Amino acid sequence: MTPGRESAGIMGDRVVFWEHLFRSAAVICGLLTLAIFCFLCVLGLPLLQDGHLLSLLSSPWAPARGLYGIFPMLLASILLALLSLALGFPVSLGCSLLITALAPRRLRMLLIGMIRLMAGIPTVVYSFAALFLLVPLMRTLIGRGSGLSLLTAAPVLALLIVPTMVIFFVAGFEKVNRAHLLALDALGGSRVQKIIHILLPGARPVLINGTLLGFGRAMGDTMVSLMLAGNSTAVPSSLADSARTLPAHIALVMASDFDSLEFTSIFACGLLLYLVTGLLMLLMRLPGRSPDNES
Amino acid sequence: MKRSQTGVLLGLLCMTIGFLYPGMPLQAADDLAPFTGLKGSLRIAGGTAHIPVMKEAARRIMSFNPDIRINIAGGGSGLGIRQAGEGLIDIGNAGRRPTDTEIAKYNLKLFQWAIDGVGVIVHSDNPVRTLTSAQLQGIFAGRISNWKEVGGVDREIDIYTRDESSGTRKVFWKKALARGTISDRANVVVSNGAMKTTVAGDPFGIGYISIGYMDATVAPVSLDGVVPDLANVRNGSYRVARGLYSLTRGEPAGLARAFVDFLFSPTGQQIVQDKGLIPVR
Amino acid sequence: MTGQRKITEITVTWFCWLSGLLLLAALVILVGYLIRRGGPVLGLSLLFGDTPPLDALLLRKHVFDGLYPALAGTLLLVIGAMVLAIPLGIASGIYMAEYAGGRTKAVFSLLFDILAGIPSIVVGLAGLSITIFLHRIFGERIMPCLLISCLALAYLVLPYLIRTTQVALESIDPVIRKTAPALGASRLQNIGHVLLPHSLPAIIGGIILATGRCAEDTAVIMLTGAVASAGIPRSLLDQYEALPFYIYYISAQYTSPDELATGFGAALLLLLLCSALLVLALVLQRRLTIFLLYR
Repeated sequence: MTPGRESAGIMGDRVVFWEHLFRSAAVICGLLTLAIFCFLCVLGLPLLQDGHLLSLLSSPWAPARGLYGIFPMLLASILLALLSLALGFPVSLGCSLLITALAPRRLRMLLIGMIRLMAGIPTVVYSFAALFLLVPLMRTLIGRGSGLSLLTAAPVLALLIVPTMVIFFVAGFEKVNRAHLLALDALGGSRVQKIIHILLPGARPVLINGTLLGFGRAMGDTMVSLMLAGNSTAVPSSLADSARTLPAHIALVMASDFDSLEFTSIFACGLLLYLVTGLLMLLMRLPGRSPDNES
Repeated sequence: MKRSQTGVLLGLLCMTIGFLYPGMPLQAADDLAPFTGLKGSLRIAGGTAHIPVMKEAARRIMSFNPDIRINIAGGGSGLGIRQAGEGLIDIGNAGRRPTDTEIAKYNLKLFQWAIDGVGVIVHSDNPVRTLTSAQLQGIFAGRISNWKEVGGVDREIDIYTRDESSGTRKVFWKKALARGTISDRANVVVSNGAMKTTVAGDPFGIGYISIGYMDATVAPVSLDGVVPDLANVRNGSYRVARGLYSLTRGEPAGLARAFVDFLFSPTGQQIVQDKGLIPVR
Repeated sequence: MTGQRKITEITVTWFCWLSGLLLLAALVILVGYLIRRGGPVLGLSLLFGDTPPLDALLLRKHVFDGLYPALAGTLLLVIGAMVLAIPLGIASGIYMAEYAGGRTKAVFSLLFDILAGIPSIVVGLAGLSITIFLHRIFGERIMPCLLISCLALAYLVLPYLIRTTQVALESIDPVIRKTAPALGASRLQNIGHVLLPHSLPAIIGGIILATGRCAEDTAVIMLTGAVASAGIPRSLLDQYEALPFYIYYISAQYTSPDELATGFGAALLLLLLCSALLVLALVLQRRLTIFLLYR
């Protein structure tokens, strides 16, 4: 439907009023998105000015020595997100293919229901259970350390992002051209061939976008890394090390002095996370990929 | 003789009547009396070592007078000092003495109602129960990294430390570690309670908590031959001791005043004792 | 050739089924563990501790050692946040679907996607920033409280509502869309009398899911007013307890096995709550569709 003003009439003014109302609502929401960015910049200013930006992103965290670098947290966030994607992507792909192409009808309904249920489980519940189930296990498996590490947090984070990615992939697979699928059936192709030759190539943009979405979710989650990754301030030298992610840092440092540079560092973290989100959203919009098939 | 005898008898009589009186002992009723007719809410936050006492006091007061609401949060001594100073909360708790700058800047009034110590803890299965200062400093700095170097099993030491706002950490760093470094590879936990549960769950962990928090789930480690318990804190042989303070901005009034007075009352100090701390009165 | 294809077939099939199995196993282990440790504690004493339930419900006595304040806090949060978010979200969604076009739509779409992708901790941080600003401007008595948490949570779920409304409206059959205008109705009348009722099931489904999102979030409320013990909030400017925060808090700071058990009880409770909302959304959607389309 093309936008435009309705012709005025007895109803004219009221119609225009409502149109303005709807538009204002959208504008307010849009402004809110930008407002956060402004808040973060303003409050993070002390650390951002005077060329501190580079040192912020590359130095370690040692307030006693006057170093407020968030590099260890940035590295930990990225490592954790990549690791959980490495675990989560194959499982998501497998499950979504299972649902779309391989499973019989009744099982498909069950699987979709299960996925939806999992998408609704709060992250704090995942983390809580993992704290008592997984941490002692990891301690024995890794052989050293307290069991709180990136390696412990990754599977739980993967479990968190898999349902979202599966729903996204399944929706994407359903949009693949039906005619092609029918053609394959007519030629006597098997289900696996359907997967390999039609679904996967046809839904490639969806797969990429879904992965980006999962990555964003993994980087942004707080509770899993706060409760399971150990929160040490050192740069993680291995995946079995205790580490602190950007969101966990924010949660831990927010209790400190408002006026201190420590506290300001959490706004720098927030800004970084915001920018990463923005970047991911832009990447998802690169030519050839439309963002419309989201759940 | 006769007068004192009658006095004792009279006293016993009063106490008996007091105990028979439905509700509560005479003493407790007295101490809670200032809360009659008061209304409103009280915000308390800060040091986590104070929380057990705060919670019990709040429970008694709120049961006595349901119109009163007392909110208790943790966050560490730094938060307690700062938020009390900025008027965000009514009473701040700190496990370290605020610096003179802080007192001057916020016009803080201090009330020390207990004495506590900070002791090193390990898992209850850990055979290592005694360390010298040098060993302790080496462990927390990361120089000593394996339990076998101090008489334990062959396994890496998992260090646990508190966040930077913590008064417990400050006292530990200053007095037990003699201001030595704490390795940045240490796992960070956010409260005394968290420290206790984490070390209780990690057979190879080491950490430090308020002595009031110690119980059977963790094992205390003697420092230079002195066991961290209340008796040693009281007689001064265990040096890593500190006062537990509550602070207000300016003189407290109303509900806050009543609460602070309650902490110093016999009931309040009994609660302090019950929670494993040393009362000041 | 057939040999190689056979191997590919088998590998792919196995991979997909294993993924599904893995996911199912993870879910069963998680929920099973929670039920095993939290199930025994479920009951009135979990909610009310030592206080008689009637006194607690009528606010005559405080509840210690019980989840009732946390449950009440979560409830109030959810209501507050949804009251703020629903009008704004639906209005914006209507704007996006019906009035916006071309470049405007693309810009708003990007902004709303960023809004959707912002990590919850950053939203909490924004809430904290607002508190600081207000505290500096209006002085003393402004501090993290229920109101600010509701605002922040509304911010969090806004994109869900916008997107649900937009997608729901856009998926309406073009035939239905054009009927009323063909008979002379204005766009506003079309929206009010035809489009909205048609998309109401989907919108309500979206609302309920957003409600679930509000109930489960921890990161936002951690920074904006949730505390470990506060009783029932008596005004919007009070601090409060909440179920997810209780779980997080107890996970590290339980002082006895009994308290830990209440943590499991709380986790189970939250899980049941979110699952119930999910099921409600599905059921309601189906029922409403039937009711609205075939009355």
